[in-house]
Amino acid sequence: MGKEKLIPIIALGIILISSVSSVYVYANQVNSDHIDINGTEYTISQIFFICKQKTIESNSELFTGVSLDDLMIKTGISNPEKHEYMIIASDNYQKTVKWENMKNGIITAEGRSIFSDLPKAFRVKNIVKIEVI
Amino acid sequence: MEKMKIFAGIILFGSLWGFSECIIGSSLHDLNLPAGAIMTGLFALTFMFMSRMIYRQPGMQLGMGLVAGTLRLFNPFGGCFICSAIAIMAEGIIFEIIWYKMSLDLYELRKPINSISMGITSAYIIYVSGYIITQILTPMLSSAGFYLENLIVFIPQILSSGLLAAILGGITIPSILAIKKINLTIKDSYYYPATISISILCWLIVIANTILIINS
Repeated sequence: MGKEKLIPIIALGIILISSVSSVYVYANQVNSDHIDINGTEYTISQIFFICKQKTIESNSELFTGVSLDDLMIKTGISNPEKHEYMIIASDNYQKTVKWENMKNGIITAEGRSIFSDLPKAFRVKNIVKIEVI
Repeated sequence: MEKMKIFAGIILFGSLWGFSECIIGSSLHDLNLPAGAIMTGLFALTFMFMSRMIYRQPGMQLGMGLVAGTLRLFNPFGGCFICSAIAIMAEGIIFEIIWYKMSLDLYELRKPINSISMGITSAYIIYVSGYIITQILTPMLSSAGFYLENLIVFIPQILSSGLLAAILGGITIPSILAIKKINLTIKDSYYYPATISISILCWLIVIANTILIINS
């Protein structure tokens, strides 16, 4: 098949793949006011009530929120330093971090993770789950 | 075409691309607009395709990606700037791969259906590949490390977000080809002063913008 016939077919395939993916993403969107931490659900206000807050600097900006390491300890995670933590957003965006990173991280009132020692790619918005691995 | 002229073209188009990523891209990101897709489908594709059309020199877009990515590192604001710099550099490489088999006179794009299709294909593949590459490289360069499962579950979202880039690419390429019909020429005596001045201006604005943000 010549290039001139192949180019529109590839473009059509791309439109199809991206459209099907859009439908899939929309259908699998999770909307929740709660954050599931190791199997137990908490609201943001509950998290802010039980944990201590701190301010961190990330990319020359200051952010205040609940300390992620304190959150893990207060929610009863045993031996927290021996685990890794998968932070999952409502749109399935997820990032796995180490305990060392959790010690430098917060969760803001908007339900977003910020780490002072990690790039902005680790800022997970609309967190719905923190899985302990 | 002489090597110095191409080199000046790489610096010019790379600087314009980097400038638009830093100033316009960052503004779009701050406005919560899909900055990545808009920047790839509109700006990155415009600069890469225009340079390919004017200079007919394969390999040039790779150099432009390096220049633009480096300039992005000078503006550490608006989204993940390391991710953006990596993505921009990757976009230059991917453009080269996609357009490797295309003739330099762009003969295949004489029919509108082909120019639209090539715009869709280029913008989508460049955007999606750039996105995936940054999702791998950025965690790898951080202390957290890369986890394949984090990427796999997010693939549908990446494929979906590329739709906007594809649509914009489908508009961009035919629009630039339409401009090709306007005969624009520049005298050799003006070429180097113009390219160097515009490039320096782009870098100065980006650096001044960074200094202003830091001091505000």
